Amino acid sequence: MDALLDFARGPFFRFSFAIMALGLLRVIVLDLLGAYDAYRKAGEKDLPWGLIISRSLQWFIPINRVFKYRPIFSSISILFHVGLLLVPVFLFAHVHLWKQAIGFGWFTLSKEWADWLTILTIASGIALFIGRVFTRSSSFLSRFQDYLWPLLLLVPFISGYVCANLTISPKLYQLLMLTHVLSAELIFILMPFTKIAHCVLMPLSQFVSNLAWKFPADTDDAICTTLNKKGAPV
Amino acid sequence: MNNRVRITKLILWSIVGFAGAVGITRFLFGLGATTNLTDATPWGIWIGFDVMAGVALAAGGFVITAIFYIFKREEFHSFVRPAVLTAFLGYLAVVFGLLFDLGLPWNIWHMMIYWNPHSPLFEVGWCVMLYTTVLLLEFSPVPLEETSRYARIRRILMKFRFPLVLLGIMLSTLHQSSLGSLFLIMPFKLHPLWYSHILPLLFFISAVALGLMMIAYESLVSHWLFRRKPETNLVEKLAKAAVWVLSIYFIVKMADIWLSGEWHLMFDGSWESYLFILEMLISTVIPIILFSIKKVRTSTAGQWVGSSMVVFGMIFNRINVGGLTMLRATGDTYVPSWMEITISLGVVSAACLAFLFAIERFHIWKEKPQDPEWEPYTPPVFDHTSEVWLGTPPLAARTKYTLVLLLSFALGFALIPSHKIESKGVEIVPVQKARGGDTLFIDGNHDEYGVLFAHTQHIDSLGQKQSCDKCHHMNMPMDKATGCWECHRYMYSPTDAFNHDWHADAHGGNIACTQCHPKGKERQAETAKKCDDCHLDLLPSDNPIKVENYTAPPYVTAMHELCVSCHKKKAEELSDKKNLALCTTCHQSAPPKYLKAEISKHLSGPYFNHVVIPGVNLKQEKEQLHKNE
Amino acid sequence: MSVAILTDITKCIGCLECVSACKTVNNLGTDVPRVWQKNDGLSAQNWTSVLQKPGNHYIRKQCRHCLEPACASVCPVGALQKTPEGPVIYDSERCLGCRYCMMACPYGIPRYDWDQVVPYIRKCIMCYDRLQRGQQPACTEVCPQKATIFGERDELLAEAHHRIKQEPDTYIHKVWGEHEVGGTSVLYISDIDLGFLAYQPNPGATPLPATTRLAMKAVPFAFVGMGGRCMESTGLFDDG
Repeated sequence: MDALLDFARGPFFRFSFAIMALGLLRVIVLDLLGAYDAYRKAGEKDLPWGLIISRSLQWFIPINRVFKYRPIFSSISILFHVGLLLVPVFLFAHVHLWKQAIGFGWFTLSKEWADWLTILTIASGIALFIGRVFTRSSSFLSRFQDYLWPLLLLVPFISGYVCANLTISPKLYQLLMLTHVLSAELIFILMPFTKIAHCVLMPLSQFVSNLAWKFPADTDDAICTTLNKKGAPV
Repeated sequence: MNNRVRITKLILWSIVGFAGAVGITRFLFGLGATTNLTDATPWGIWIGFDVMAGVALAAGGFVITAIFYIFKREEFHSFVRPAVLTAFLGYLAVVFGLLFDLGLPWNIWHMMIYWNPHSPLFEVGWCVMLYTTVLLLEFSPVPLEETSRYARIRRILMKFRFPLVLLGIMLSTLHQSSLGSLFLIMPFKLHPLWYSHILPLLFFISAVALGLMMIAYESLVSHWLFRRKPETNLVEKLAKAAVWVLSIYFIVKMADIWLSGEWHLMFDGSWESYLFILEMLISTVIPIILFSIKKVRTSTAGQWVGSSMVVFGMIFNRINVGGLTMLRATGDTYVPSWMEITISLGVVSAACLAFLFAIERFHIWKEKPQDPEWEPYTPPVFDHTSEVWLGTPPLAARTKYTLVLLLSFALGFALIPSHKIESKGVEIVPVQKARGGDTLFIDGNHDEYGVLFAHTQHIDSLGQKQSCDKCHHMNMPMDKATGCWECHRYMYSPTDAFNHDWHADAHGGNIACTQCHPKGKERQAETAKKCDDCHLDLLPSDNPIKVENYTAPPYVTAMHELCVSCHKKKAEELSDKKNLALCTTCHQSAPPKYLKAEISKHLSGPYFNHVVIPGVNLKQEKEQLHKNE
Repeated sequence: MSVAILTDITKCIGCLECVSACKTVNNLGTDVPRVWQKNDGLSAQNWTSVLQKPGNHYIRKQCRHCLEPACASVCPVGALQKTPEGPVIYDSERCLGCRYCMMACPYGIPRYDWDQVVPYIRKCIMCYDRLQRGQQPACTEVCPQKATIFGERDELLAEAHHRIKQEPDTYIHKVWGEHEVGGTSVLYISDIDLGFLAYQPNPGATPLPATTRLAMKAVPFAFVGMGGRCMESTGLFDDG
């Protein structure tokens, strides 16, 4: 068990963290390159830059248009995202580990804040999951992995909370710690290859979707070729 | 796309990714954490291969421009662009590789402002700088062809083509030879078979030979890679020229060895003599013989064998001069760490990728081998290995190559040996207890060099049985005089005297988290209960040493701090015992004879980590203590 | 004139006072054996060390401060300099970390901060700042036996020869450092052979920088000569 935990904290952590960091960077670069290709071939070159920027910014401000239509869902979602970002990055224990490994740390959350944020994150995660199952419009759009994601995200939070606050036997502690570390690393590895990549692609989404309306001149023919309906009227 | 190219590119990308992870480590943690370099071998494979061999391999550039522009051999026209490109990328790779080797790479520009013209390295540095610029100017008309926007700049560059070529040849001559001058200053270290006063000349001649063969080798490799018809006729001409240059090299080298009277060293049976014979055979003798035979020279297989022998033989030569043959004089052993090798390979791979990139986009050859951007639209294909729909070829290539890069980068990052980084070069040497009777021989690492310590005499002079506390400043539970080695467990590295897992374990202390870690606070060492809150007899009341935390300093430090501080004080107090504070008063080079028998008895005995006191029930004693409290 | 240090091996008792004084004065920190060290006791934290040879001979090792130092001659940025006073000093601001000085030194003296992310060359600088304040180096000052002494190089050489003449049976008739590699500012007299201090027991009297000087002098000629040769073969000279 100790050897396994050491492996999970050492080499495997470095592996998954590298996959996450460089993988997300890769996704951005590939996206930008693809967008540049499309832009170069685009029939019409002028994009509504003002609109793109204002819409992108709107997504970062919690009180947006969606908030008007689905206030409960939006506020829970915001809470979930805030906890998801703040707790792992600014938890004292995590920063302490960073300090040991690379020599410097940063601002940390106080113990009370971290605990409450963790509980709120877990609660909002469960709420979102239930919402996804029972809201008809959501469940219609959801694939299997979309149900799995919120559950997987909650595993490290729950196990971490138990390890940090409850009195449990050392064996169970180690088991839970292993679960905590491994599940977090699984999330790291999956991040760049799944929809979680939206954490870095969000700023680009408006740009790309606007670009999509400026398809290159002969795109219609190409689409027809793809659909094996060459020569069909568009 | 051609399968050979695809596989080659995938391999190159994965090496680059792997080396990238190692490169980051090198800059985060320094040279000691990543290399096997030592004070006796401060130059390793990064100099021997990356710089020395790298510059030599780039010699093709000046050789081909000399052939084409100076000797007017028009038939070699198709070799000029690839060779100049190779030279340019080769020099960039040398500079880039050097950044890893330099201790303070951000100061590399100091060479421009602080001058020391006596230094061969100063000259090499300047020549590399200037020649890389010249190569850039020589090559830049080629990419500028692609667009009409910079036609004027291109025209100007073309006008200065000849002076540039001339300058390039002059600069190359200089620093190919001054790479040899670098080692003139080491007559005592470099093995006499390689050391010579004409090292610069030897380096220059061999660089010309290597340049010729490098052009040939590169033509063979790239034509194989892109499945083109090999340029057998031209390569044959190069091989013919190489025979002459190699023969001159061979004669000069042998004459030099003969004249300096080192002939016998070649056959004295030392590993250097075999190394020398092997090097001469691969780099010079066998290629001369092979290429003298017309049938071999004109066959593709013969060209492959001969040119690769020269190329690898000369790399071998540069590595030998660059440090390998100094090991006898320095008495050191140096084997490059896998991280050093990875970086070297990564730099080379990056240069190869840049070459392939250029060859696909610019007119290096008469026709571009393949240009994905110009391919007609093809529908997306389902890739069975990655199970995704891949778009147009350039998009698919991009996706695949970066995926390989990402995976190998992460793998490299995972394989980085954290113990090598954390140890900071200090080996973990476990300490064993001092041996002897009334007089102890303190020799923690058993290297027979230690301190003779009159234990009984110290007890007597410090105040009999009550004096234990004066030195034994912290005791194991239920113990009165715990030995130093039980907490200070390593010679040169600190130890954690607190065994956390034992306390938490059901078979050990079986203590719940909250008994030491208060509720509502971070579970860390700083906020936990101190050891002496439970172990009341841990710290003797009048101990001289303040225990601030439970990280025990290294054995050596602990012993010196305890003994030397007291001895210094005593030496000042007692005017007749000045010797008390001298190192040699206590330090002996070998244990005294009368202790030998006692010591050898303990030497074979088991190594205990903890004192076991028979007949003592720890739990009971502990309860008793708490009751007393 | 230039200053020097004379170490008399017959007088050294191996007390290591010079080593600890050097550490204190130069703030060198604790020394721990590292995997990259040579086994002569010198390290980035030890600028002088005392080697023990059979028969209770103690030899203090330190930078020899050559009169024509190889390290200073090869440094591409002149970070190592031979001062007119005698010491060879190091300017960490200029250094770019090429470690050519370590390769060139015939005595294998310069050490490196291998464990540091920002590493520097480390070696004895003969307490140059103390010299400028009119003090002598820390090691010679603390020596209880006066086995290592400080003074003008000429006077110390005379003193060394004087001692050898006084006790011709004790000493080997040689002053190490008088002519070696062009002479050094750290001199030894001894009753055992000190050839092991250098990579070669008898390094000869030629200063090492002379070996590269010829090649470096040929540089402009080779440069111009090659250019001329090339132009000649292209026939550029034929017209004029």
